[in-house]
Amino acid sequence: MTSIAYGFWDGQTADLRTGNTSLPAGWPELEGFDFFNQGNPIRAFIGDRGFLVFDDSVCLIDAFRRQMEMAAQQSCGKCTPCRIGAPLIRDALASYAQDRPGPLDLDGIIELARQMTDSSLCGLGRTAPVALLGALTHFRADVEAEIAQAQPLPAQHGMEYMTAPCIEACPSKINVPRYIDYIRDGKPSYSLGVILQKYPMAATCGRVCVRFCEMACRRALVDEAVGIKTLKRYVADHQQGPNALRFTRDLISRPLPPDMRVAVVGAGPAGVSCAYHLLLHGYHVDILEALDEAGGMAAIGIPSYRLPKDVLHSETDIINSLGGRFLFGQAMGRDFGIDELFARGYRAVFLGLGCQEGTRMGVAGEDQATSGYETGISFLLQVHDHIAGTRKTELSGDVVVVGGGNVAMDCARSALRMGAERVHLVYRRTRADMPADPSEIAAAEEEGVIFHPLLNPTRVLLADGRVTGVELVAMRQTEVDAKGRRGVEPVPGSEQLMNCDTLIAAIGQTVQSGAMRPEDGVKLTRWGWVEINPFDLATSRPGVFAGGDCAFGPSTLIHAMANGLQAARSINDWLQLGHTSFFPRTHMRALLHSRKLLAADFAEVPVKREYRVHHPELDPEVRRTMFEEVEATISDEEAYREAKRCLRCYRIYSVVTERPIPEGAELS
Amino acid sequence: MTPPSNTDPLILISIDGQTLEALPEESILACARRHGIYIPSLCELNDIDHAPGTCRVCMVEVASQDQASAPLLAAACVTPARPGMAVNTHSRRAREAQRLQVELMLADHNQDCATCVRHGNCELQDVAQFVGLHSNRFFDRSRAMGRTVDRSSPAMVRDMSKCVRCQRCIAICRQGQTVDALVVTGTGLDTAVGLHHGLSQAESTCVTCGQCVLVCPTGALGERDETDRVLDYLFDPEIVTVFQFAPAVRVGFGEEFGFPVGTNVEGQIIAALRQLGADIVLDTNFAADVVIMEESAELLRRLGERRRPTFTSCCPAWINFAERHYPDLLPLLSSTKSPQQCLGVIAKTYLPERMGIDPARIRVISIMPCVAKKDERTRPQLQLANGMREVDLVLTTREFARLLKRRGLDLRNLTPSTFDNPYMSAYSGAGAIFGTTGGVMEAAVRTMYRIVNGRELEHTEVTPLRGFEGLRTAAVEVGGSVGTVKVAMAHGLGPTRELCERIRAGTADFDFIEIMACPGGCVDGGGNLRSKKAYRRNALKRRDTLFAIDRANGVRQSHNNPQVQALYRDFLEQPFSERAHQLLHTWYSDRSIAMTQTVKDVWDEITMSTTIY
Repeated sequence: MTSIAYGFWDGQTADLRTGNTSLPAGWPELEGFDFFNQGNPIRAFIGDRGFLVFDDSVCLIDAFRRQMEMAAQQSCGKCTPCRIGAPLIRDALASYAQDRPGPLDLDGIIELARQMTDSSLCGLGRTAPVALLGALTHFRADVEAEIAQAQPLPAQHGMEYMTAPCIEACPSKINVPRYIDYIRDGKPSYSLGVILQKYPMAATCGRVCVRFCEMACRRALVDEAVGIKTLKRYVADHQQGPNALRFTRDLISRPLPPDMRVAVVGAGPAGVSCAYHLLLHGYHVDILEALDEAGGMAAIGIPSYRLPKDVLHSETDIINSLGGRFLFGQAMGRDFGIDELFARGYRAVFLGLGCQEGTRMGVAGEDQATSGYETGISFLLQVHDHIAGTRKTELSGDVVVVGGGNVAMDCARSALRMGAERVHLVYRRTRADMPADPSEIAAAEEEGVIFHPLLNPTRVLLADGRVTGVELVAMRQTEVDAKGRRGVEPVPGSEQLMNCDTLIAAIGQTVQSGAMRPEDGVKLTRWGWVEINPFDLATSRPGVFAGGDCAFGPSTLIHAMANGLQAARSINDWLQLGHTSFFPRTHMRALLHSRKLLAADFAEVPVKREYRVHHPELDPEVRRTMFEEVEATISDEEAYREAKRCLRCYRIYSVVTERPIPEGAELS
Repeated sequence: MTPPSNTDPLILISIDGQTLEALPEESILACARRHGIYIPSLCELNDIDHAPGTCRVCMVEVASQDQASAPLLAAACVTPARPGMAVNTHSRRAREAQRLQVELMLADHNQDCATCVRHGNCELQDVAQFVGLHSNRFFDRSRAMGRTVDRSSPAMVRDMSKCVRCQRCIAICRQGQTVDALVVTGTGLDTAVGLHHGLSQAESTCVTCGQCVLVCPTGALGERDETDRVLDYLFDPEIVTVFQFAPAVRVGFGEEFGFPVGTNVEGQIIAALRQLGADIVLDTNFAADVVIMEESAELLRRLGERRRPTFTSCCPAWINFAERHYPDLLPLLSSTKSPQQCLGVIAKTYLPERMGIDPARIRVISIMPCVAKKDERTRPQLQLANGMREVDLVLTTREFARLLKRRGLDLRNLTPSTFDNPYMSAYSGAGAIFGTTGGVMEAAVRTMYRIVNGRELEHTEVTPLRGFEGLRTAAVEVGGSVGTVKVAMAHGLGPTRELCERIRAGTADFDFIEIMACPGGCVDGGGNLRSKKAYRRNALKRRDTLFAIDRANGVRQSHNNPQVQALYRDFLEQPFSERAHQLLHTWYSDRSIAMTQTVKDVWDEITMSTTIY
């Protein structure tokens, strides 16, 4: 394990060059700091709260010049101290590095750095010079020694990384503060441009995302999290009609030869996202889809009152605009296998099959039910056909939905809309434990879904194969275990009956049986999912990559789209370089995450409370009867107001390394 | 989570040792100001509820009263007062931070102050003094001069080398006027204010209302200065200079020379113009009366044809707004030209005929409380058959003040004079009130009533029209075959947009609609004198003076203006005659801006955070 030579962190200094060997309490764990990538030692690390030098021959002036260069590049330019301070400090450090001292001496640099940290508007300016200030205050002799060398200082290797809690929380690493800034700036098309750098389905994500970003939002420390999803939907919906932002083929700066073909299996969010990025890289991409429409779970698993089909399809159509092809009605396992794909000339394959088969509860009577029993996903398929008008399903009487996830909520709310008199939602844990999005839980409750937490099905009651009810057992929470979690256990003798006409088990999903065959040569996990290397999404078969639900189990749209991007990057590397490569920013994130370096602590200066804008929503009584979209887009004025709430919690982290940090194949 | 209620306990804070009461969520700056404590500030403009917290000049030192933690610097404009807070507005640390901020702001600021339109009236100069600035270490002329200057518009100049990025212009354009033409462009040191989609001012969705100029703290925004061209005309013996000044100019100009707000300085302006060497001094009020003759006749004709509603067409920023943003509504606009243009065209046809002057020698120069009038002058459809412009130059009230100073004239030293032109300078009270919201409507009602009933309206002052809300409606009994006329009046483009949307949606039921693009009407138009740290404070006083001018006038209806009567008798015959139609009516065209972008355009422009992985 590496050791610190000297450093400054959270206001405290350490200098082990003097023989002292102890570090102040609360300093970052240094495990993982030895090497940035294989054989490339980290010489110094600079963060938002200080810096750590591992190799005492590191040139501080150059290291801080790099940090301030990033700050100057990324400064939004709104507030005075950061806009001007960052470039002035950078230029002064660069002058010193070139042994041509400029007009600003070290005291001048300190004055400007302090002005930045004390008075900048956002986290970027307030934190970028903290480490520099620490060095100039506590290690000034080292800096002066570098200056005294009276020759140009060596330029060092390394990388700088700017992020924010919301960016880190987002599986797709969307630059959230940047797109919110563009709304403030009056340029929503630029906001959409930021999102489109990561995935094509912005309006879809703006409607159904589970919002990891908002859970990480530091604005919650003042009042409420910024309505990031609401704003995403606003910028996406803003681009409709004649003036919509258009995708054109000239986006593809380097089209590849016609034989550079990639097959994407599954037109869900993972497949569409992967195809989108491959197309932008110049590949020729076909998406093979078992159904007759694009969107995967977003099309069949999310009801239209949350995600209208025209919105989804306007986004999946981007694939066509970029020259990609959808081949519908092509089911893997039935119509083709992986060998056939390679035989057809595809150079690589992305598997985005999804998890299409509902998990069964494994209780008595379940397998004997001939009608009135559905898994969550099979029911949502019925809902889809009902709305599409291809097959009407009318419900009546009581419906019991088992499960506490988003699929369960979707089933319950859809059942109301299809005529159920009462919809009961049964869940084995407490309401607080439900994994569904809290806003979905609240919407279901408002619309009249009756919640029954701490109940678990034990038997399906049947009459001539028809479901007539379900036997349930009450559950209770167990004591907190060693990991701090509370389980549940059945309460003996608490069995009870609940009559119903329809029982929907929305407790999980798995890959469609028969889709993956042994001859495909792709290993599966014990859950029946495709086994992948989490770093590059490669499967056990060379040239085959996988992502989304079929690789990770049922998960979110945003995870699937993030996988699509990651796989596109790996496929590009694999086809261009013959191997997948190191992702420097991914590694930097892992470093920040594992050491908890991205602090969620709060700036001490108070901030005015301004509560968030909410989507205009219809009355629940009206809502529960309709499949049209129940939320409207916010107005321009509301969008400006909401965008102003973002605190821009940017932070810059940089490393100085022994050797250059490798990048993957060059991207268009 | 619920917003705080009004029953929250008192918030007591200390500012500079005084214990003061703050309102819930009130900023330190607002609280200090309310209690008479001064904190230097720049970007904030309370009158338009604008506190972006970007200039960072209003830094104060904040501690908890129990001194539990080290004092912090905070921007007073955006930091809320919290119970137990101890604020120091002038500690050494606060003062140094304030001073350094202004010094940093000057790093890329064009400091050719002597050549600046805001010289001596600049909020940045003020704040530099207030923070005690004594050095300018970071100024780099090349950095300042590299910033954009947009001179494409005939009306306005946007000089980003003087922009302090306060974003007041964006706020007034976006929230105030709902035109939303402006965006923040660039990042870091390149940050500036520009037009949507990188368009030039002339080609953008801007309607040149000039409200942004009124709120700009520096000389970054201003009218295109044409005082030199006026001087050229004045000193050219071949040229006959004809001046006109708008109804609102006489009540919004005296402040520049120390008269109380709202003083009527009509006589002084006439005297000043004579001193400058003006050959003929006319009154736009006269043309306002002519406009009423034409517009009333036009309105009654359209009502007879059941075409409704009809919009007024006096305001050039409104015309731009309709052409740029609501081209589908253009058939609803009155075809009558604005008073400025009516005066210009009559001064180049009727007047030379009466006075025996060669019309080719005449140059018409307007003095207007308006920036858009400069733009209107250049409209291709507003020229005479021989290709001459109807109006040759337009000076804003601000340029007129500059012109007088260049000639060493002080309004206070001038003996008020009177109009002496027997053809085009008399005006009625109706013409005088054109300068305020509802004035055009009231003037038109007075004349319509006469046309319909053959007698004058009993109560000349139509008080139901005289409110000051942004959008007002009334039903006016005109009688006769016309009956009740449903009218609406909007001032400010926010209420105007609201009305336009209602008309588009088919939910509005009006016969006649008066629009003035500037909030308050011409008395607070974008060409008026600038104030510092204030917006729209003088509209009501100026308006009262206009109403007083009307009241004091022996002639209160446009049709009773003897010079107007002579104009029709001797030249135009009657409103809407063939000649009147040819000279006093115009047409409009769809000038909407197509703003389409491709993802490639946008990606090429996004300069930050393009790193995907």
